[in-house]
Amino acid sequence: MPPRIQTKLVTNALLHPHSTPGALLTPTCTPCQRSTRSFTSTPASQTRLREKMFEWLNGDGQEFKSHTPGSPNYVTKLTERRQGGQGDGRVHRPFPLNPYFTSESILSEELRNEIHRLVMVEKRSVREVSVKMGVDMRRIGAVVRLVELEKRWKAEKKPLALPYARAIHEMVPVTPLEKNPGEAQPTHESINDLPTHKLTEAQIFYPVSESRQFNRVDAGRVFSGAMALPHSEAEYINKNPTEAILRTTEKPSRIERVGKGDDEHQVLQPADARIPHPQLVAHYRDRNELPNEKAEWGKRYQERLDRDQRVRAERRQKRIRSEEERTLKVRPENSKFEFRFEDVTFSKETAGADGRGTKAPGMRYG
Amino acid sequence: MRNRATTPLKVPKVRQSWSKYNLYNLQRLRGAGLANRTFFQQKWAARTMARTYHGEQVRESQWARMFSRRIRSVVPMSASRLAKDDGSAASAGRGSGLDPHSSDKPTSFRRTPFMQMAFAPLERRLDVAIFRALFASSTRQARQFVIHGAVTVNGKKMRYPGYLLNPGDLFQVDPERVMFATGAPKDKQERRAGRVARKQAAKEKEQEGSEEGAAGEQQEKTEEVKEEEELNPREALKSLMEQAKTILSSDKDALPAKRKQELRGFQKAVRRILSRSESSSVLADSLEAQFSELTSVLKAKKASGQEPKRKEHRARQSSNEAAEASSDAPAESDEPGEALTEAFKKAALSDGKLEDEDVSELTDEEFDVLKRALGQLRDNPIDHTKPYATPWRPRDYMSAFAFIPRYLEVNQNICAAVYLRHPVARPGSSEVPTPFSEETNTAAFTWYLRRR
Repeated sequence: MPPRIQTKLVTNALLHPHSTPGALLTPTCTPCQRSTRSFTSTPASQTRLREKMFEWLNGDGQEFKSHTPGSPNYVTKLTERRQGGQGDGRVHRPFPLNPYFTSESILSEELRNEIHRLVMVEKRSVREVSVKMGVDMRRIGAVVRLVELEKRWKAEKKPLALPYARAIHEMVPVTPLEKNPGEAQPTHESINDLPTHKLTEAQIFYPVSESRQFNRVDAGRVFSGAMALPHSEAEYINKNPTEAILRTTEKPSRIERVGKGDDEHQVLQPADARIPHPQLVAHYRDRNELPNEKAEWGKRYQERLDRDQRVRAERRQKRIRSEEERTLKVRPENSKFEFRFEDVTFSKETAGADGRGTKAPGMRYG
Repeated sequence: MRNRATTPLKVPKVRQSWSKYNLYNLQRLRGAGLANRTFFQQKWAARTMARTYHGEQVRESQWARMFSRRIRSVVPMSASRLAKDDGSAASAGRGSGLDPHSSDKPTSFRRTPFMQMAFAPLERRLDVAIFRALFASSTRQARQFVIHGAVTVNGKKMRYPGYLLNPGDLFQVDPERVMFATGAPKDKQERRAGRVARKQAAKEKEQEGSEEGAAGEQQEKTEEVKEEEELNPREALKSLMEQAKTILSSDKDALPAKRKQELRGFQKAVRRILSRSESSSVLADSLEAQFSELTSVLKAKKASGQEPKRKEHRARQSSNEAAEASSDAPAESDEPGEALTEAFKKAALSDGKLEDEDVSELTDEEFDVLKRALGQLRDNPIDHTKPYATPWRPRDYMSAFAFIPRYLEVNQNICAAVYLRHPVARPGSSEVPTPFSEETNTAAFTWYLRRR
């Protein structure tokens, strides 16, 4: 129902005959507080807490309402300023109480397209592009997938969220693409992250004679409870560390296993073999050994990359071939289904002593 | 599911949401006040506080099952260090190196904040991942998107918000929903305009068969054309440039309504000019085609005599333009001020020379401005049928919450993201976005260890 009294001015003038209409609008009477009931002269009920909140939002919080393109806009600015800092938002922390979480940069549109071009057009290996651009290998794969999907959408003329994308790239820190060919591409993230292995969580007291060289390989064997290496083997690893690493990375199935039954596991390999880019370690070894032969480093690095790619492709082919040999494919006439049968061996090795082992056939189907 | 995720002011609770209430609560959030409490009370208070943010939509028993005491962490390795030594130097002597105070050791040792990862398993959930990828303004909204069938995982529709993503999973949200979730809401006038537009569309559908409507439209068009015939192409181009410049200006104080008026005026002008061209399909053509048509109709041409280097740079930029939509935000001018003034000078000079001809010259700069304005018109048009304010602009207070954690790789253009790996802790940082201090998270983690 609309109010009976037509205007506020009339009402108020009746209540206070001496006051001018201008004086009635006191500064405390902000628009959000004004009552919809025109008769009452008391301000609308707004709790103290709400009042405080809007006070903050219209004061300190004003700058968070909209962003300035190119610079992140997080609340830690205020805390920084309170502590006497610049408060220009150079520290990208969205949460005031959590100093460990930072808003990390995302790939710029150009960098994304460049990665896609290197992988799909120039046919460079993911490993190589990862090192070149300073981007994790998994991210390279994801970027290629996403850009391919984007291209398909564009071809299908599906609507894209372009203004949204632009806004996000203005709000979040971005890793740009270095266009100058002389300059190195800024690193996006650390590419050689070593995942902490479960076996290394234990604290082990392991006495070793002072005369012994106790290195990473030995430490891995101690962590996994394997016996120490024979002297000849240890000497070989000491002399040809690069070859020793290649042996494990190229044939992961050949890694020694220890333990029995369900506790059986591979011997923990040294960090050189477990990082995503072991070829970089070999590259730095080359640099240490041949400090003056720059061309040789590059040649060897490329050779290693090629070899890695070849070995991986071979392994993949072999796996596919053996899988095909094992399965019997049957396609009944006029059927859209293809049935695939695989022979199983139900023995103590595959199914365990009680027949309920995790590798037993049919385990996943109950 | 009833939304119990309120943001009370009395007992401030931080939520996974972009609301202004939440922002206010976030900036005044203090520790759980665990001092002077028993151990049990500390754990209880901390986990109660933490659970208002982490997996508030997940039942307690569900989360207790998901909880894992094993925390993933990584150590960034330096390949050059690994190449230098085989690790025996670190274990030499009595087990901690021959000289414990040698300068070879890293000087700053950064602790890994394991306890900040207490709620890491929840980040695997689909609804949380959608929120983290900035596709929804709250986890509740993300959950709704999933349930309403707007989300696909690896190309298949996924209707379960509790789906646990696996490394390598690609999830995608309908871009329209994302624009709605992240865009500013419509105001009263816009809602009304939307209703009117919808009504008109319905009416047109009814009259589709009758020829009268079509004839009337055609008449209107011819009238427009006639009106246009009188316009001098040079004058038209001049006014168009003016409008384009105002649209792309970085004036922040301009009211949205005013801004929209300008934009609409520009849109009208472009349409009027394009309607004079011979081909009838220009309005639906690609940006490049539209642009070339526009210049040909207006008899504009590029000013010659620019340095080739600059031109190349321009060309590269403008090729990116098509991919990058220009929004209301000011255009970043990479050009130094000198080049700009030079370009204007040249434009002025060439104007004087070609007084008699009916050809107007445009500098690269102006071409760029015109192109960008056209691009904006195309990518971010005024459309009252959309459920968000058009032209699209980010909603208020969004920037304070805008961050994308590293375990996701997001492509905003198609609103798709890949869950690369599980979140990890590393020296000095943890990847789980949590607003709470380490003290709170530690106590909460301890609560979920079985024996309390």
